[in-house]
Amino acid sequence: MARRLPRTAWFGAAVVVAYAVLSVAAPWLAPHAPDEVFVGGTFEPPSAEFWLGTDNLGRDVLSRVLYGGRTVLLLAGSASAISVAVGGMLGMFLGLRRGVVDLAVMRLLDVAMSVPPIIFALLLIGALGPSAPLIVLVVGLLFVPNVTRVMRAATLSVAGEDFIQAARARGESRAAIVLRELLPNVAGALITEVSIRTGFAAIFISGLGFLGFGPPPPAPDWGIMINEGRSTIDASVWPVVPPAVCLALLVMSLNLFTDGVGRAIDRTAR
Amino acid sequence: MTRALLRLIGARLLLSGLSLLAVSAIVFAVMEALPGDTAQRLLGRDATVQALAVLRAQLHLEQPAWARYGDWLGGVLHGDFGTSLVARRPVLPYIAGHFGYSLLLGGLALALHIPLSVSLGLFGAATRRDGPIDATISAVALLGMSAPEFVIGIFLVSILATTLGWFPPLALIDQAHGPLEVARTLLLPVLTLNFAMTAYVLRQTRNAMFDVLRSDYVRLAVLRGLPPRHVLLRHALPNALAPAINAIALNAGWLVGGIVVVEVVFNYPGLGRLLVESISFHDVPMVLGAALVLSATYIAINLAADVATMLLTPKLLVR
Repeated sequence: MARRLPRTAWFGAAVVVAYAVLSVAAPWLAPHAPDEVFVGGTFEPPSAEFWLGTDNLGRDVLSRVLYGGRTVLLLAGSASAISVAVGGMLGMFLGLRRGVVDLAVMRLLDVAMSVPPIIFALLLIGALGPSAPLIVLVVGLLFVPNVTRVMRAATLSVAGEDFIQAARARGESRAAIVLRELLPNVAGALITEVSIRTGFAAIFISGLGFLGFGPPPPAPDWGIMINEGRSTIDASVWPVVPPAVCLALLVMSLNLFTDGVGRAIDRTAR
Repeated sequence: MTRALLRLIGARLLLSGLSLLAVSAIVFAVMEALPGDTAQRLLGRDATVQALAVLRAQLHLEQPAWARYGDWLGGVLHGDFGTSLVARRPVLPYIAGHFGYSLLLGGLALALHIPLSVSLGLFGAATRRDGPIDATISAVALLGMSAPEFVIGIFLVSILATTLGWFPPLALIDQAHGPLEVARTLLLPVLTLNFAMTAYVLRQTRNAMFDVLRSDYVRLAVLRGLPPRHVLLRHALPNALAPAINAIALNAGWLVGGIVVVEVVFNYPGLGRLLVESISFHDVPMVLGAALVLSATYIAINLAADVATMLLTPKLLVR
């Protein structure tokens, strides 16, 4: 399948990998500490010392963007992992199990999906106080119903196939059927879900940061940076533009990758 | 309309009612999770024991949570949403006023969204697949899909409002006089919402159109020498509309959450901003009311979308 991936998908994957490398290497790459304040150096334009200028408190924007990338990738990646792990297992289980359990759980998920996600997240995080683990957990769980639906549908489309029936007839355990027969055939859907949910989670979590419900300082988050910089955008655009562009580029690359994998699966299926 | 269809719609209505009940319980339970006791939070650390006791009795805090939930829900059903802890006045007028502004913004955004996104998708499909025009539209759509709405909003404000001065940077609609000024304050938030929503519907319309255009009956229509515009609008479009309507319905649901962020960006006095502010103030009755009304809107939109899809599915209409 990898050879059928369009060039745009490779570009998307390359950008995401670059983001990951830059995030891991942030402590060595960043010229300053993310919360180091340079007194008298507020709203500096880009210079040799501050490549992307400084913000309203005189902090280096480049360093904050690099560390912010860590926050976004870690939080969005973890939330996506939770939603795909839980939703993937649940979806595959329901797709193989069918019957009353399937029906009951799906109706329950319908009800869960009737709460607007952002409102539920704001209420929970507002009530319990923002912290990184809580944000990851809430966002991860909010995406579970969607992932479950997709993975259940993917499982249903394979479950009737002869090789699954044959494995059942051979008396193989459910775990063996899932691991050896089902998983390789729904892997494409699983990969697309990881990529879609990571992009959604990145937007969602920076949106929370923008609304004032992001991870608490000192961890700089792109959403928080954008919110802090927007009230002083008249004085300088540098605190706002870099995190905004980085966020949009990350989500766009994830979308390109998702799109490409989806099209490759489509072509394989035809 | 057939009996099977009516039964489906009835079941969907029942599910919506149950969802609304579940949402009210979830919202109430989350607010119960607030640390500390409401009376203590309101009066501060140095409140006297007597004052605390009086306020606790006023707020019925000595009752168990389920009893207070019953009281609250009963009140809501009678139009009594309780009293704001911050403003010390009934919640309902606040919610009604802010909800009206949100409906206006959301309704206008949707009114522009439907014709704009469908016609852009059609336009893309009318050109050569993956040709320069189609590719440009797809690329711009991808950008709109990737940038979060607060990023789009801030860029629109900094270019069109702060730099060029064509529009006010804040949408203070409650201070605007006359329809012209109201329209000017609404334009940027409406544009921001549309930027975020258009891509999805546009792509669905375009892809569905290209699929339909490949089918035999459309090719036959072309071979019969019918004018291209006629084939596109009369033969292909009706069959490509279902995915577009589905996408529009999903966007309408997204709008309930998207409007929260956009209202904060533009300081627009809608229900979403009221919710965000009330959460920071720990104003529990206001939060409960705003969250309930927003959730009810979300459920109503999804219900309407599902019923519309059912009505548009010919299989359900025939039997």
